[in-house]
Amino acid sequence: MTSPSLAARITLAALVSTFTIPCQAEEVRPRLTVGTQEISLSAGYLLPHRLTTEHTTKQSGPALMPSWAMVLTDPIGKSFYRGQLLLGAEIVYIQFQEPFLTHGVGFTPKIKYLFEGTGRLRPYIEFAGGPFYTDLGGRIPEESSRFNFILTAGGGLSWFFTSQFSFNVGYRFHHISNAGTRMPNLGLNSSLPFGGFSFYF
Amino acid sequence: MNPNTLRRVTFWCWATVSILLTATGCSRWIEMAPPSEMLDPGAQQIARDEQVPLIIDVVHTTRNGSPQHTSVEMQQRILGSLAEIGLFSHLSSGTHVESPSNDKIVRAKILLSETIDPHAGGAAWKGIVIGASMYTLTPFLPLEYGYAANVTLELERWDGQVKRYEGRSAGTARYQLFGATPIMIEELKGHVTESCLNELAKQIIRDTAFYTASSAPISRSDIRTVSIRRLSPRTPDASSTPIPISVSAPADR
Repeated sequence: MTSPSLAARITLAALVSTFTIPCQAEEVRPRLTVGTQEISLSAGYLLPHRLTTEHTTKQSGPALMPSWAMVLTDPIGKSFYRGQLLLGAEIVYIQFQEPFLTHGVGFTPKIKYLFEGTGRLRPYIEFAGGPFYTDLGGRIPEESSRFNFILTAGGGLSWFFTSQFSFNVGYRFHHISNAGTRMPNLGLNSSLPFGGFSFYF
Repeated sequence: MNPNTLRRVTFWCWATVSILLTATGCSRWIEMAPPSEMLDPGAQQIARDEQVPLIIDVVHTTRNGSPQHTSVEMQQRILGSLAEIGLFSHLSSGTHVESPSNDKIVRAKILLSETIDPHAGGAAWKGIVIGASMYTLTPFLPLEYGYAANVTLELERWDGQVKRYEGRSAGTARYQLFGATPIMIEELKGHVTESCLNELAKQIIRDTAFYTASSAPISRSDIRTVSIRRLSPRTPDASSTPIPISVSAPADR
């Protein structure tokens, strides 16, 4: 029996701390202005997608994503899409448990659009991309190099427990490849459901 | 050169440049629009027994045309600005303030109109470009946030005469991505509001003589204006027939 991974422990700690925060009686309306910063920590589990018959690797494992972002705009738009744009950066750490115990770490600038939603419940979409180094590369038929790039797109829901603290759940699609710098370069595609929390200040 | 060495050199060059650019991407500054008119009202002296109280009846605030709640801080700031002039004996705010009808007082109505131009579209595109460049373009793509305020002050003297003053100011905060904070926006609003109130104060000081207690006699009546409407006389209808009325004198006993 293996011991719980670091990502699983952090996720558990995040969930426990989230649900032990005392509920406030007054209405929670986060006031995010230009320059408001967000730090967040998310954790999830990577699940493989073999999109072609040439893809054979079933890469999977926990992922940990500490990130920072800054509110760039006041609320824009007047309809359901009214929201704010955030620009930030994220470190992605993935512990591949399958097919081999390997690791990957990347740095990705990210753009996030946070919808106004109901005030307390705010959906968002995000896009990120950047360099990604993994020692899984070269050991699988899909990727020949260790230096790769990771592209991420997804969305989620932020539930504000207080005006500064939110719990997030979401889904991301991950694509890892080396941009043709070395062959073969089929790329690895994965789904990443995740949960985490954010602090705004 | 060995490809691995080249890769390493490229990585370290990129990292060094990124750190340098990030460090230089924290600046911010505020540009204020020049005041609409440069007035130097000069020092005005007023005797203490010539000062009259000022009551602010109402403060309306709009932001980009939409009505807003006026914050207590803003009311205090306006009061403080007017108090600094030294023209009025004391100042109070709110409709609940009662004043004796036989006092000489000046009543004020204030309209604060704010216009915010967050340059959201520009910020969004620049943000995307900055992100795509791995933040290396941060120092070369400054962001902007514009704020303008227009304060209209209507002062009504105790005899009913009204004077209207208007102060306007605008400013733009220019900042690089890492220099953005909510405090920066507050600083911008603070500077613009201060400039606006200063302009108003200068205009009021020019009319110092108008607000001295001896400038006009007090109106003894609470009613300053009345609307008079001429009643249309009831013209007798030609077709109507007069009704004879007989009055009998009471009998003397």
